[in-house]
Amino acid sequence: MDATTSQDCPLTLTLSPGGERESAFAMSHAMTATRPDSLPYLGYGLGLRVDHYEALLAKPAQVQWLEVVSENYMVDGGLPLVWLERFRERYPLVMHGVSMSIGSTDPLDEDYLARLAALAQRVEPAWVSDHLCWTGVQGVNLHDLMPLPYTEEALNHVVSRVQRVQDKLKRRILLENVSSYVSFAQSQLTEWEFLAEVAGRADCLILLDINNVHVSATNHGFSALDYLHGIPVSRVQQFHLAGYEQGEQLIIDTHDAAVSNAVWDLYVQAVRRFGRVSTMIERDDHFPPLPELIAELEHARALAEPLLKDAA
Amino acid sequence: MSTLQAIQQQMLEAVLAAKTAPLPPIRSDAIADAHSRLAIYQHGYRIRLRDALKNEFAGLQCLAGRGFDALLDAYVETHPSGHYNIRWYGAGLANFLQGAHSDRPQLSEMARLDWAISTVFDATDEASLGMAELASIPPDAWAGLRLLPQANLHTLDCAYNVDAFRRAADRGEARPHLRRYARPRRQLVWRQAMSVHYRRLDEDEWQVLAAARRGETFATLCAILAERHGETAAMGRMVGLLQAWAGAGLLRGLG
Repeated sequence: MDATTSQDCPLTLTLSPGGERESAFAMSHAMTATRPDSLPYLGYGLGLRVDHYEALLAKPAQVQWLEVVSENYMVDGGLPLVWLERFRERYPLVMHGVSMSIGSTDPLDEDYLARLAALAQRVEPAWVSDHLCWTGVQGVNLHDLMPLPYTEEALNHVVSRVQRVQDKLKRRILLENVSSYVSFAQSQLTEWEFLAEVAGRADCLILLDINNVHVSATNHGFSALDYLHGIPVSRVQQFHLAGYEQGEQLIIDTHDAAVSNAVWDLYVQAVRRFGRVSTMIERDDHFPPLPELIAELEHARALAEPLLKDAA
Repeated sequence: MSTLQAIQQQMLEAVLAAKTAPLPPIRSDAIADAHSRLAIYQHGYRIRLRDALKNEFAGLQCLAGRGFDALLDAYVETHPSGHYNIRWYGAGLANFLQGAHSDRPQLSEMARLDWAISTVFDATDEASLGMAELASIPPDAWAGLRLLPQANLHTLDCAYNVDAFRRAADRGEARPHLRRYARPRRQLVWRQAMSVHYRRLDEDEWQVLAAARRGETFATLCAILAERHGETAAMGRMVGLLQAWAGAGLLRGLG
């Protein structure tokens, strides 16, 4: 695949933030754009969490696919893999990791990648994703999604590592934008410029977390719409929707609450821009009964489908 | 050192050391200053590791009571995580407690039992030998046979009734009283199919199981029992152990 940023960028560079006309144009493009490697459109899904195992076995019709946290199943045996097989029989699955540490200056963890590749071979997911971040350095893992400085140096570093991971996994990966609370004095690019450049140069795809865009935009004082309009349409393969917590000065990405109105509004803008993108609710703590999450998923569907129908 | 390496190194030190490390090159603005921004990562790091430990050490929580969080915090402050999966962060907690709280050995003993339960949960799946397979072995073949126990089972020496604390935690029951045994007892932890179990081992069972794990023949196992119980009683005891082991899925095969 020879998709590059320069091929994606002409569209994004013609857009100005927030304009309805421009958004409509973008959506029309999104409806017809061929996504780079023709990964399937899965519809509306949920993140698979232990609290909902039993309820999800019944396969409620509204849940069309599941996202599993890769590390939870990178184990030698036991119950986690039994459950995974049960869900694999019932749903299309995608794998979502938190520990690839693609931006770290430590060497890539070959043991981690070997286990990830083995799991992908077992699960046969529709795709594999992780985050555009680093999680540790010097052999220490902070177990957090640490933001990068948006520099040419970091860009070259991440691009080369994404290419190595994709070679190892024999598939293109998706990288997700993270919520952040710090930015670095050395940054030369905006976050969205950096993400777009990584995707273009490394030929990977994007998992756009709409909540994370909102959190980072609020915390750093940039426009979330600028962010959306800076992301190449053809690279976006998946959306995350989640909730956050209002802190004293900053908003904190907790992924433990219902999707906020601000994020729903931004989701509408994202659907207008990116078109039909596999969408899921991601809840990492304070798990409500499954029907509550399904209601959120149905709200996403109710917001998106009329827009998608109008644009068809 | 590249700029990227330097920034990551500074952020790492600032998150780990909290207030004592130099401030990384973080931008301050009208929304929040650099210290406030960094503090979110410092706080989140400690909360995440402490929560991960809480998931794995239910017995220790029951035993330590209100002091549990302080035990975990002390571990978090002195032991950075080196594994990509936060689930493995607790691997060093028992040794830490043994050194930091040598006056309360029940804490490290409890942590070892919790951790054994945790590691057995997602250990490699193994075959299980049933009574029907044992019954099909010709009588004259037994003496030279080697029973192969599950490779993933754990035996622990316990000077305290730590299993009672774990059991209370698992069942949501009231905290038991701590008792120190006159002589250490052995605790067995294993998985049968997908269920994790733990129970006390009698002294003779522990000796025979340990011998089987060393690869001793069935004749040797019987000789160990005969030394304790006499020839006649030993055979009955051995049959009883075989039935119990096969019924509990403790055997993976014969060698």
